[in-house]
Amino acid sequence: MAEMTPEQYQEYVGRRKRAAGTRRAVGTGARHLVLIVVGLTMLLPFTWMCLASFKHLSEVEEINPIPTTWHPENYIEVFKEIPFGRYYFNSVFVAAWVTFLQTLTSAMAAYAFARLHWPGRDTVFKLYLGTLMVPGVVTMIPNYTLVVKLHFLDTYSGLIVPAAFTAFGTFLLRQFMLTIPLALDEAARIDGASHWRVFWDVVMPLARPGVITLVIFTFMGNYGSFFWPLVLIKSEHLRTLPIGMLFFDSSYGKQTNLIMAASVMNILPLIILFICTQRFIVKGIQLGAVKG
Amino acid sequence: MKRTSRRRLADLGVAVLFLLPNITGFVVFTAGPVIFSLVVSFSNWNLQQTVPFQWVGLKNYVEMFHTEDFWLYFINTGYLMLAMPVSIAGSLILAMLLSQKIRGTVIYRTLYYLPSFTSGVALLILWKALYNPEFGPVNAAIGWLLHNLRLNDLAQFLSGHGIQPPEWLQSTRNLLGIETEHARLSGASWGIGARDAIMFMGVWMGIGGGNMLLYLAGLSNIPQDLYDAAEVDGANRWQIFRNVTWPCLAPTTFFIIVMSFIGGLQGGFEQARVMTGGGPAGTTTTLAYYIYTRAFEQFQIGYASAISWVLFIIIFTITLVNWRLGGKQVAE
Amino acid sequence: MSASLLMKTIYAVALVVLVGLSIVAYAIQPRREVGGKLALAWTSDDNPARREQIDLFNQLHPNYELRLDPGNAGMEKVIVQSLAGVGPELFDCYSHAQLTAFVKAGVAWDVTPLYEKHGMKLEDIWSVVGPNFIYEGRAYGHPTNAATDAIWYNKKLFRENGVPYPSGDWTWEEFIETAQRLTKFDSGGRPEYFGYLSNRSEWYPMIRQFGGRLYTPDGTRCAMDGPECVQAIQLMQDLTYKHKVMPGPNQEAAMAAAGGWGSGVITLFGGGKGAMAHGGRWWLCLLRQYEDLELGVTEFPHGPEKVFWGYGRATLVNALSPYREQAFDFIRFEHQKPYNDLINHQADALAPVIQYCTGEAFLHDPEFPAEDYNQTWYDVMEYGEPIESSPFVDGREAQRIIDVQMDLVRTNAKSAAEACRDIARKIDREILKRLDEEPALRMQWERLTGEQAPV
Repeated sequence: MAEMTPEQYQEYVGRRKRAAGTRRAVGTGARHLVLIVVGLTMLLPFTWMCLASFKHLSEVEEINPIPTTWHPENYIEVFKEIPFGRYYFNSVFVAAWVTFLQTLTSAMAAYAFARLHWPGRDTVFKLYLGTLMVPGVVTMIPNYTLVVKLHFLDTYSGLIVPAAFTAFGTFLLRQFMLTIPLALDEAARIDGASHWRVFWDVVMPLARPGVITLVIFTFMGNYGSFFWPLVLIKSEHLRTLPIGMLFFDSSYGKQTNLIMAASVMNILPLIILFICTQRFIVKGIQLGAVKG
Repeated sequence: MKRTSRRRLADLGVAVLFLLPNITGFVVFTAGPVIFSLVVSFSNWNLQQTVPFQWVGLKNYVEMFHTEDFWLYFINTGYLMLAMPVSIAGSLILAMLLSQKIRGTVIYRTLYYLPSFTSGVALLILWKALYNPEFGPVNAAIGWLLHNLRLNDLAQFLSGHGIQPPEWLQSTRNLLGIETEHARLSGASWGIGARDAIMFMGVWMGIGGGNMLLYLAGLSNIPQDLYDAAEVDGANRWQIFRNVTWPCLAPTTFFIIVMSFIGGLQGGFEQARVMTGGGPAGTTTTLAYYIYTRAFEQFQIGYASAISWVLFIIIFTITLVNWRLGGKQVAE
Repeated sequence: MSASLLMKTIYAVALVVLVGLSIVAYAIQPRREVGGKLALAWTSDDNPARREQIDLFNQLHPNYELRLDPGNAGMEKVIVQSLAGVGPELFDCYSHAQLTAFVKAGVAWDVTPLYEKHGMKLEDIWSVVGPNFIYEGRAYGHPTNAATDAIWYNKKLFRENGVPYPSGDWTWEEFIETAQRLTKFDSGGRPEYFGYLSNRSEWYPMIRQFGGRLYTPDGTRCAMDGPECVQAIQLMQDLTYKHKVMPGPNQEAAMAAAGGWGSGVITLFGGGKGAMAHGGRWWLCLLRQYEDLELGVTEFPHGPEKVFWGYGRATLVNALSPYREQAFDFIRFEHQKPYNDLINHQADALAPVIQYCTGEAFLHDPEFPAEDYNQTWYDVMEYGEPIESSPFVDGREAQRIIDVQMDLVRTNAKSAAEACRDIARKIDREILKRLDEEPALRMQWERLTGEQAPV
């Protein structure tokens, strides 16, 4: 490379960039095209679902996706055929309890791992980490037998308690807590605060983004939980939304319009929730990737 | 020295209080079960008290490896993971497209993440309806294309019979031509069937999901100077990608691959339970679904635990292998 | 508000809300006793006949609300759920193998004392269904129905071919001769209808008719490879490939597709694809819909002995349910006239209690005057035998093995002798597997055979 003066160099870079800029302008058009096509591909199934939910049963099998007559009463019909409201309640109720228990106990445990010193601390944490790689089925079989023996089968407790204790929450919050400077802790401790005060007054407020992320992930994870409620629940009044949808589809499967209406009611809250909490979710995923 | 150990012990009391709720649950519902599962896998327990409990040693494992079905389900599990490279590459491409400063990035990102975020039983039920061979829109669209683009006539002309839209979830055929009863390939089994349906659906669900977000983050972390330097060196787009983008994304890619393997090996359960019941003829039964039927429909707890541990070991091994292979590359 | 106070408040509020919701959840749980009625659950399959039976019970017993629970059917599920304390009060049992499992699991309730207390006698019940609810001499429930299969025949096809209606009590030679006159192919060589349609169950009465058995009398070995069994199965195979009066599976499929009829022997028979068919009285539940069908019933043909295939279903009581005493009221109901009359009227096979299958109400149901053959259904019950079971092998496994081999015989992929030998070999292997799993059984087996069981 021949010697250049700084000004010549800047000019050279600028010229190259402008040339690239022109190329990029052309590229942008193509880029938008691809993005739009992909976006449509993502949207189409959802659109079909919404449109089908308003159709009359006789029209569902027509090729034309748009209904000729609109039947919003399909949505009411769903509530008449199955206790859909009850399923909603169960899903939210169970997920709320699980989230509450999970965040509280995980935060406390994370504090113990991040801030306290005790013999065996790192070994136990490695144990926590290790279980993250164990496939769910391995633990679900013994959990089920335990629930059978304790007569917790087909109860709310059986749905809530085993799901409230995974190592994930502890892991996530410990990572968060490690990023909080110790200085604040020390300041409070010097002032005579107990660990419990430090936990609530110093660490937790600063770990709030992590806690919010955990709340969202735990709630979403449990709301859509399928395997555990499927094997645990026998009675109709205890079914959560996914299980309710499954049985609705197997007994009313031919009535696609009703099934789609139920699916819309299932998915819509998720969409709204996602749009509101996007920021946290995106951050959370990107954080979860930064492992020790 | 003394101060540290006293400090450690002092903390112990507090630590116990903080840890107790979580670790009790952890031991009872996570760590304990892992051990319990291993121990039970050496027994014939069936939870129904109809057969006396016996320790049977490795019998469950031996029986498993001698059952041809087990290997077929293993193949099914692997089949669903075939689209992994496509999915990951797709996520990367989408991320690269979105990482430029163009209008509507957030809208696109939301849209692309939607299938991943809303995934669950409702979405599977939707796809089951979409894939319906007689009435579903997928085949309606394919039929329309075949007819209007005269592809049907062309096929008729070339081979003597027309093309039918695939039967999707009701067909045991697949793109690799794997037979149903035996682990063999054959032309008669070629086609587009249930396994492919689930695979394509998986790509749709995953391509704009978490992987794309991870790549977005990774891309935003690449320093602009590297790009500038490459452009100054006269590199074209492909060379920039190969020498700047790809190496910088290596840790992200590595992470994604490891996670995809772990998830893929355990997967296929919801799809099988909701859409196909494991069929047709067991072609969509993955290892996870197989464990489910053995454990929770037939309650062969001992045998099912053995299968789940084998799955665990497979996942563990492949993760280790990935670490060894990938870790080196990342270090470079 | 400071951040920490905010967090504590949020948690506290969340806890209060959750407790409140828990109270709501508890309050809206369905109760066992609602409006003075006790809810009882019966796990069985869902069909209109069952619902009618339940409605009748609820009418006669207004203090109960018996409900059908079709979603949790399956022997293993019922056992595990009962052991976990959430089982139904009543559940169905389809075979002696299932009954054995239920008893061993401790889930079936021994109601023999209650039978005595209410004057219910086992002799009142058709013996053919005994194995479904009687274990080692004790009763664990009550049959819902009882059946013995016979020959349905299509009167129109007989008339068209100038064949007089069969009068029963006929040997296989006589039967084959008649059936040959009733098998017709069209000009292209494609089958129009056959003389005899199979329901896949004739193998068992046939081996018994020729003096064969499925198991040795003590149940320690499978006896399917005996010469009598081979002779019987060969005759079964000959029906298709030598005498050509019974369709092979391919021909069945062709007939099903050709007429646009669905598959299944009842549908084929109802569609006029067979002049005669081996079936039960419960076929009427479906055949009554075919308005133009003129039906007759006659005995199944017999060999040196007269044995027909019998079966039934029983309802058992959950020993672990706190409401098992009340559930027994349903068992009593199954022993009484209203229920038995309903079963006969619905043609859900025959009523379980013998005396209700005599008398005009059964023989000539005013609502179905064309059904003048009920006496035959009664008469054949005497010769009905259920498929043997052995305590040393899981009946379902054995049935699976038999089904696979019989399919091979029906498609002519195997000779009868080979298939019988393979059945015996495989079932014997299953027996040995079972002996491995249960030391008590092994001791019993060794005592009975005087041999050491190979490991």
